[in-house]
Amino acid sequence: MPPADASFKVLKSGKIIHNPELCRGCRICELACSAYHDGACGAHLSRIHVIPDDLALEFPALVCHQCEYPSCYYACPKRDKSLCIDEETGARYINTDECMRCGNCARACPFTTSLIWVREEDDKKIYYKCDLCRGREGGPICVEVCPRDALTYVSRRKEK
Amino acid sequence: MGKILRVDIGTGEISTEDTTKYVPEYIGGKGVATRIAWNELKPGTGPYDPQNMLMFMTGPFTGTLVPTSGRGSVCGISPRIHPTPWFTYGTMGGDWAAELKYAGFDAVIVKGNSAKLVYLWIHDGRADLRDANELAGLDTFVTQQHLKQRHGNRTQVVCIGPAGENRVLWSTIQHRLSNSIGDAGLGAVMGAKKLKALAINGTGSVGIAKPREFISICRKMAEMIKGGPTNYPHPTDLPYRSPVGPSNQQCSHGCPLGCGQLHRNVPAGLTVGSGTRNMMSHCEDYVFIHGESATNYPTEDIKDIYHGDMHTRETKAFGERIGTELQTVCEGLGLTSSFPINYYPWFWVCIENGVTEIEGVKLEPDEPRFWFEFMKKVAYREDSFGEIFAQDMLRAVEQLDLPPVVKKAANFQFPMWGQPSHRQGRSYESQPSPLWINTMLHWIIDSRDPIACHHQSSFVAGWFPLHNEGKGGTPDSNMEKLKAAYKKAFGTADGMEPGFENIDAKTKLALWQDNRAQVKDSLLICDWVFPAILHTFPSREEYLKADDYYGDIDAEAKMLTPLTGLDIDSSFLDRAGERIRNLDRALHIRNYRRSREIDSTGEWYYEYPEKSDGTKLDMQIFNAILDSYYTLRGWDKKTGHPTRAKLKELGLKDVAHELERIGILKP
Repeated sequence: MPPADASFKVLKSGKIIHNPELCRGCRICELACSAYHDGACGAHLSRIHVIPDDLALEFPALVCHQCEYPSCYYACPKRDKSLCIDEETGARYINTDECMRCGNCARACPFTTSLIWVREEDDKKIYYKCDLCRGREGGPICVEVCPRDALTYVSRRKEK
Repeated sequence: MGKILRVDIGTGEISTEDTTKYVPEYIGGKGVATRIAWNELKPGTGPYDPQNMLMFMTGPFTGTLVPTSGRGSVCGISPRIHPTPWFTYGTMGGDWAAELKYAGFDAVIVKGNSAKLVYLWIHDGRADLRDANELAGLDTFVTQQHLKQRHGNRTQVVCIGPAGENRVLWSTIQHRLSNSIGDAGLGAVMGAKKLKALAINGTGSVGIAKPREFISICRKMAEMIKGGPTNYPHPTDLPYRSPVGPSNQQCSHGCPLGCGQLHRNVPAGLTVGSGTRNMMSHCEDYVFIHGESATNYPTEDIKDIYHGDMHTRETKAFGERIGTELQTVCEGLGLTSSFPINYYPWFWVCIENGVTEIEGVKLEPDEPRFWFEFMKKVAYREDSFGEIFAQDMLRAVEQLDLPPVVKKAANFQFPMWGQPSHRQGRSYESQPSPLWINTMLHWIIDSRDPIACHHQSSFVAGWFPLHNEGKGGTPDSNMEKLKAAYKKAFGTADGMEPGFENIDAKTKLALWQDNRAQVKDSLLICDWVFPAILHTFPSREEYLKADDYYGDIDAEAKMLTPLTGLDIDSSFLDRAGERIRNLDRALHIRNYRRSREIDSTGEWYYEYPEKSDGTKLDMQIFNAILDSYYTLRGWDKKTGHPTRAKLKELGLKDVAHELERIGILKP
């Protein structure tokens, strides 16, 4: 929920849209995402998760919606230091160095499966989410590598 | 670099060992499996013995951004190989190999035989053998569904169906839709071990030494191969060569292509295959649907005259509806779905020679009903008919009272090692000279249908001028540009000249292709694309405009270097490929007395003319080709054994010692 303070306004964000009709579950998006952000390839590291049902030929994917009213952002006790808004793309992103690992953001995510992921590294919880590859020339890498144009990026300027 | 999981399914003992014992010398995949087989598989071990090992292998590329890297390999002693069951390999697409890496293992090696049916649950560095009583007799799709429900929908499952449980020699190890270890015959070994399935789930990852460089080179290679597999220069309306679109799918994790045709809503009401309503077909597994010009038997044994009909017989296309249903039942039961390509024409030879029924079963190859019955009887070993055909065809005909002509026809369907006629340079997939010379060498040297290898020669037939009555080649062929690509890759295109002149140039190319096939099955990367002597084009227009067809034969090394941080170039990989081939050769010499004589058992097939240009050979030419090949390999011409010097040069001194100890190499 947005805070009661009505003057509080958040920059709109661009977003990644996944089309399950075009997706065939090759998972190159996951591989590129994890390689780019973490220097390792792994589905679990990725910020986008494809959950293909190969027998049913259904290919849903989970990626942050970059909500217009970002519950994760509002829930963060260190807002703008830990959970931040990128001025260029509008991405709601986590600054891991500042993150207190409280998990409020992940719990606040309104979707059934939280789109903020968590993994354990050296006994520490690392929260991570899609940051639209902010600062990357060419925009989100998953969109760029998708061989089937199943992913599209709508920038915040185009987003009406 | 991770760990190899060792499971003794007989005692329940589970342990791990470091992969670093075997790499980078043996790369991964088939290379590492071959080394382990050399170390541990004793001569005299049979396919169903507890000492036989079923090795589920991944490679350094598996689970990474390398395009087409989702493939996995399974190796072991196969009961299907004819006449001697021996150590062989298979590769398959899908997602299990990547998942295995994410679960923390580079390979799973299963030995021992279990007393009761079990499955292996592998998750994040752990492995448990679980009771699989509930899964007994379930088809491959229901088994996958069942284990995904139990362990989460991101779990990847490799399993056997009823056919594997009943040790049918041509049963599969199945995964997803239409991905399987088929002709290797290892489904029966999994059945003998009473291992119903592997269920794998992992949250780990594969580290990259230089991520930025790695991403950039993988992107470049994905761009290079986006025209599709190399069996045709550009996408066409051929069933397995269409552009990436809504009706097709990649077979493997991390592949940007779409070689698999999707068939949705297979008719309901099936008793087998009910775990899915969909199907995928790649290549010969579509034969029930589209039909295929299959191998025929030359009814008159004339080797001098070229008859078009002599070579091929069209199999019956049952169409989208019944064809997919047949394929679904086939894969559900866990049988090799390309089988009708050999059994259909053979059953017709039976009928034409007066054999209208076998063991009380009427042969009706044009009736779908016949095939449903055939597959069920085989998978469950029903009646004597099912028992007999649960073996491979060559063993089956030995047990049947059939006219000699019908028995001989079986040899045409399974010309070498009991493996189905498949791009061997004769019959239905025409390969004009000189392509079939390379392919022949791949077939006679390998331990099975050398798919990863001969696709490098047989696929090029798709770039040649139209041949095979217009079914092969491309109308816009440009042989000059094609040869220019070979010249760029090897400094010469002599290996691409037809005929038997300058034979060394041809055998040299065959040898390179064979070494690279070992590399490819060890890195685990797709043989429809790599090694990229040629690269394909997204459209016919781009193909016609292009000045250059050359792909990049250094692609593998260029991707492996930033991934591992090791300084690896193509010569390192060629060397590793040569090492793996020589070790495989040594293993087959020590355990199965592989020799020049055994290699030469495939010669007879090439006395029959190639379909499109009529070229053929006799024993004298064959021997000249083999002499040239062995010499280039550093193998003894008389025996076909690697020389001590060659083994030493490849760092296989211990192998040379062992061969010396048992009297194969002279001290």
